[in-house]
Parts: sequence; C-alpha cells; structure tokens
Amino acid sequence: MIEVTGLTKRFGRTLAVDDLSFTVAPGRITGFLGPNGAGKTTTMRVLLGLDAPTAGRATVHGLPYRELSRPLTRVGALLDATAVQGGRTAEQHLWWLARSNGLPRSRIGGLLGLVGLDHAGGRRIGGFSLGMKQRLGLAAALLGDPEVLVLDEPGNGLDPEGIRWLRGLLKSLAAEGRTVLVSSHLMSEMAVTADQLIVLAGGRLRADAALGELVRPGRSLEEAFMDVIGRSAS
Amino acid sequence: MSVLAAEWIKFRTLRSSWWALGIGVLVSLALTVLGAATVIGRWDPARTSDQAAMGIVVAVYVGVVLAQLPLGMLGTMTIAGEHASGMIDTTFVAMPSRVRVLLAKAAVLGGAAVGASLLISVPGYLFGRFVAAAYRPSLLPAGAWTVIAGGTLMIVVTTLLGLALGALLRNGAVATAVLMAIVLVLPALVVNLPWGEQVSRLLPAYPALQLIEQVPDIMPDWAAFAVLAAWGVLPLLLAAARYAVQARR
Repeated sequence: MIEVTGLTKRFGRTLAVDDLSFTVAPGRITGFLGPNGAGKTTTMRVLLGLDAPTAGRATVHGLPYRELSRPLTRVGALLDATAVQGGRTAEQHLWWLARSNGLPRSRIGGLLGLVGLDHAGGRRIGGFSLGMKQRLGLAAALLGDPEVLVLDEPGNGLDPEGIRWLRGLLKSLAAEGRTVLVSSHLMSEMAVTADQLIVLAGGRLRADAALGELVRPGRSLEEAFMDVIGRSAS
Repeated sequence: MSVLAAEWIKFRTLRSSWWALGIGVLVSLALTVLGAATVIGRWDPARTSDQAAMGIVVAVYVGVVLAQLPLGMLGTMTIAGEHASGMIDTTFVAMPSRVRVLLAKAAVLGGAAVGASLLISVPGYLFGRFVAAAYRPSLLPAGAWTVIAGGTLMIVVTTLLGLALGALLRNGAVATAVLMAIVLVLPALVVNLPWGEQVSRLLPAYPALQLIEQVPDIMPDWAAFAVLAAWGVLPLLLAAARYAVQARR
C-alpha cells in the first residue's frame, strides 16, 4: 500500500509536484503515466526517501520510506537502471545490496535466473546492454521479496520479447498480492499491462481510474490520455 | 554492521581499489628500499643501537609520504564514483541513513589506509634492519612510536580527507585536485611567504612531516597530532552534516 497525500515538491522556483494525492492498492498493477517532466520520477524519488517533500507526505506501509527498517524487504525499487558502477559483476552488485539489508547471498542465483541473466552473473555490468541492466535492476528490486514495487520505466531498452516477459512478471507479482506501481510513457504497453492508471501532468493529478473507465470501445488509451492532458491544459 | 559489511563488499569488488592500494604500496616500498639503502650507507659508524633503529623507522615513513597520492585519490573516488554513476541513489534506497553510509565508507577506507601503511612499513623496517645489521639496531626505541603513529595518521587523514572532499564536491577530478592542493601545493607555496610558518602549522603537511622527523620541530608533537587529526575529522563531519541536511530538504 502506497499513500501520497498533498505532496508538493519544489526545486528552487520550479514546482515539480503540486498537491498530489493518490493511493496505490495491492493486488493489481497501477500504471503511472504522464508526459516528460510531469513529476512521475520526482514523486517516486520522494516516495523512496531520496528527496524530501516540500509539503505533504508519501508513505509505504503507513511509514515514510526512511523510517522502514531493512527497506529492501518492504519496498523494491528500480529508478535508473543505468545508474550502476560498471566495474562490478552482476553478482557482486546484488551481493552488496543483499548484505546491506541482511539478506542471504543465496537468493542471488535464483533471482538472476528469474530475470534471465543466469549466464551473465559473473560478467561486468559495464558490458551489459540497456535491456540487461533493466533486468539486473529488476533483480535488485526483487532481492528482498518486497510487498511493494516501485518501478520507473522498467521497459526501457527491453526488446519485444523482453517487454512481453516483463508484462508477465508484473502480472504474476500483482497476482501474488503485491502493490505494483510502474511508470511508463508507452501507452500501448500500459493499455495491456495496467489495471489502474494514475495520470500526471504539470505535477498535478489528472486522472486516477481503472483502465476500463479510461479506455472504451473506439477510444484508445492514447486518445484518452491526450484528452486528460488536453482538458487540463486548456 | 550491515552498512559496514555492504560498503566493505563494494570496496573490494572494484578493481580500482586494489590498483590504488597496490600502486601506493609498491611505489612507497621502492622509495623506502632505495632511500634506506642510500641513507644507511652514509651513517656514522659510531651510531648507537637506538639511533640506528630510529634511523630505520624514519626512513620507512618517508616512503609512506608518497602513498598519500593513490590513497587520497581512492578516498575521493569511493564516493564521487557513486555520485557520477548515479549509483548513490541505489545506495541510499538500500541504506537510507546517509550519514551511516559515509561513516561506513570512512571506516573501510581508514582500515585500507592502515593496511597499506603496514604493508609498507613492516617490510621496509625488516629491510632496513637487514641493511643496517652492522649497527645492531635495537627493536623500537621510545621515539619511534611517535613516528609510527604520525606516519600512520598521515596516510589515514589524507584518505579520509579525500573521501570528505569527494562527498562534498561530488566530482572525482575536482576533489582530487583540491586534495592535492591542500596536501601538497599549498604547504609548498606558503613556506616562502613571510607568515608561512604560522600557516604551515595549520595545514596537514607540516605537522605530518614533523611527526615523521622530516622537518624541524615548530610545534609540540601533541599539537601536530591534533592539527593532523582535525584534517581527517572536520571535513568528514562537514560532509556528514551536509548529507543529513539534504535528506531533510
């Protein structure tokens, strides 16, 4: 369960997030949509304790992220998959992460298998493609077997087969009763992945609805999205 | 403890850590061996056992002076590398207490600096004793402990100052340049100025060199220890304070 209440984040004179409130429920995939600069990443960063809110609050399991003990066991996060040091192997990267939260190193092998990196565990991350880095980032997010997942554009750099695999993975995670918040700018992908959609533009909430409410016969998610954004812009 | 263990894994899984340590140790050992052989060859045959032992210890820590460069750079890169790659976000998501992360990095780097210092001084000392065997050097005369403590503190402080500068400036190249300015360039510049001696007392280099008996004493040893230690502790506290404030902004 993720709760964002009256969240405002200002960077100098820029208002990145403006009085944003929403909740993300367990057991389904919630798509986090919005044009570039809408405030999706900022909201996720505040949610993960990387930036402090100017006003309002963002909580996971009822607590601000920074107050969670062994946070990887509560929340799995993937922000920027390329933000890794290339000199370590995939196994070594997951090893320090596991150790930081008191998780057994034995989880690493199975996770690498789950994300399709079984044979790349001993290779340096520097040589990984973007898609492989995304897979590693997903393994890192799942390391602590968390009930909540916060994923920023996890599909970036995945090939069509990878996208299909990711969709199945997210669905099975939601089906296990986990809370899954996943941002994307790919409407077509969200239309077949998400159950619930939260749409942001200009830092404000534009829509928070079930996929079926936004998409009707003869009206694609893309059209619905443009409506939501356009209506608010006028 | 988990934070410390994680930072220790991070440290040893990067090859650059071992390169920095290896270069630091080998270059210093080379200088120690050459220096000791040359200096001991010119000793007055009337030297006492204690004087001989002291001479060996002093020669050993001349080598450690050089190891400051690679270890200081290692200090800056340990944190600046994470800021540059963006991995610092993953670090802070896994370990939300930023101050604890910084202190864990300081503990790992401090340990590495002490380790490097031992890897230079122990073989250097044994080599010195071998070359100076004719003088029958005593084991470790009383004054040697000041040199050993001062030389070890010197390399630890430079490494931690590198870490603090890396955390404050977030850019490895800039932080390394500032570190070199503080440790090498400024001390060399100020000695030529009229108030140079006063300023030298407050920069890290002179107190360190005084403790390892490379320059004349211009302050009590306790003051030299205090100034040197302050250069290791204060910038690190400043960096910790900045992380603590940022987390709340």
